Amino acid sequence: MNRKDQRKIALMLVLPAIILFLIMTIYPFAYMIYTSFTNLDLSKTGTGKFIGVGNYIEIFQDPLARSSIGFTVMLVLIAVPTEMLLGLGLSYLIRGLSGEKIMRSLLLIPMMVPAAVGGFGWKMLYNFMFGPINYFLSFFGIQPITWFGKANYAQSAILIIDIWQWTPFVFLIMYAALQALPRDIIDAGKVDGANGWKLFLHIELPLLKPILYVTLLLRVIDVLKTFDIIYMTTYGGPGSATSTWSFYAYKVGVSYGWNIGYGSALSVILLIVSILLVNTLMKLLNIGKELGLSKAEG
Amino acid sequence: MKKKITYVIRYIVAVSSLIIFLFPIYWIFITAFKPEPEWFSMPPIFWPSKFTLSNFLGTGSSTFGTTTTSIAGILPFLRNSIVIATITSLVSTFIAAFAAYSISRTKIGGTKLAGWFISMRLLPPIASAIPLYVIFSKIKLLNTWLALILPYLVPATALSIWLLISFFNEIPQEIEEAAYIDGASRVKSFIYVVLPLSAPGLAAAAILAFIQSWGEFLLALILTNNASAQTLPVYLGRYITGWRVAWGPLSAAGLVTMLPVIIFALIFQRYLIRGLTLGAVK
Repeated sequence: MNRKDQRKIALMLVLPAIILFLIMTIYPFAYMIYTSFTNLDLSKTGTGKFIGVGNYIEIFQDPLARSSIGFTVMLVLIAVPTEMLLGLGLSYLIRGLSGEKIMRSLLLIPMMVPAAVGGFGWKMLYNFMFGPINYFLSFFGIQPITWFGKANYAQSAILIIDIWQWTPFVFLIMYAALQALPRDIIDAGKVDGANGWKLFLHIELPLLKPILYVTLLLRVIDVLKTFDIIYMTTYGGPGSATSTWSFYAYKVGVSYGWNIGYGSALSVILLIVSILLVNTLMKLLNIGKELGLSKAEG
Repeated sequence: MKKKITYVIRYIVAVSSLIIFLFPIYWIFITAFKPEPEWFSMPPIFWPSKFTLSNFLGTGSSTFGTTTTSIAGILPFLRNSIVIATITSLVSTFIAAFAAYSISRTKIGGTKLAGWFISMRLLPPIASAIPLYVIFSKIKLLNTWLALILPYLVPATALSIWLLISFFNEIPQEIEEAAYIDGASRVKSFIYVVLPLSAPGLAAAAILAFIQSWGEFLLALILTNNASAQTLPVYLGRYITGWRVAWGPLSAAGLVTMLPVIIFALIFQRYLIRGLTLGAVK
């Protein structure tokens, strides 16, 4: 078989995947970019006319869009750093304890359980009258809290769920990263008298930096999609205090608004932000080296 | 002595954290087996007085209507979930195996193509859900199994390609060439030599695809609207909106939804971690 035939076969083998992605993502995305410039509304006939950047301008004037994007940013700024710190802390805490492997496996569960199920579980825990959380708080003399009734409580509740769900993810990565640290460098540091905080700050942390960036980006990319737990617990409420970017696009686009044009515009911006982050991530991940493609011909 | 004390303290903190992280799961688990009077009680019941199966059988409640008190209604959703996740898992593994093999052996497309494939699983689902809703409603595909299988193939295939490229990389090319020289065709050497050797990788990819599709919520919520194609997570979502939902049966449904995932995840955790962290962890 000559080289040309080989190339042909190679192409034939990747073609199904390429076709799948073209039809199921690139085409819908292109279609969505188109609808984002129209006033398409599935509940009204005669819509779908081109209206230019009208939908995009509306985003800036719509207080609900602003608050939904605002809450999503809040998740990025509060939940993600907390997860990073707790995850890193847990990895140091558990490393070296007997039974650490079992603990690691058990910590896997919150992030594996479908978010809809996790959200449902938390909805029971947060229940005003019968929930265990208010019961525990009563030990400290705290009056029952209407978790989903007030904006700041509802927002805290969602932050807590996200932190619960994704701290294990950071932990897993950091736990493995710690084990992969080059022993000789750590030992050399110890010989030089570094230990505890000094060892962490000056030797381990710099070594962990690349993987911390990757983790941070993975988390930010993911937190921008937050939807399931909102739907299952607060449904964006009270008012729109806990509505996220995805949730608001869902609400105006397909839930009761049917305003596909506006929902599309919201999703297009979210998509652009995500693509920028994903591109940064791909550079950090160094796929070429990871998959042995660096000396690729293509 | 001081070392011992810090060790004990660390242990206590670790176990307490573990309890906190597992508590919501524990709560679903025990509520699924609680008799009706214990669903809503103050103080809450932390260990059911007796473990009952009535929440699963739909015989547990006198005060709630029949729709939410029996998970008998869950069966069509369970069927949909199994069918959709299984087909997605098989088809995506198939497509991914071919693509990954080709990339691994010929480096076709280089870093660009591989990166493009992998990035497909990171994009926000709402961005495909809205246009797919419009497109599928035009071609009358809404509310069918296919309406979910098609979009689920995307992240599943993307993740599997990533996993499988590194798997195929680990299979020495010489083994294949030996078979090739012995007269086997390229296709035959792939089927008889490479596939059996990469079986663990293929299994891991299939399981991961299954787990992802099984738990997916947003697309299922938007692209399906009744028991003929809706999946388990959406079943849970449908009945949670009332202010007082029947916790027992819903927990039973939640347990059925999460149990396969937890079991698979614990068995395949090594590959799972590798896949979910995009190779950041080996």
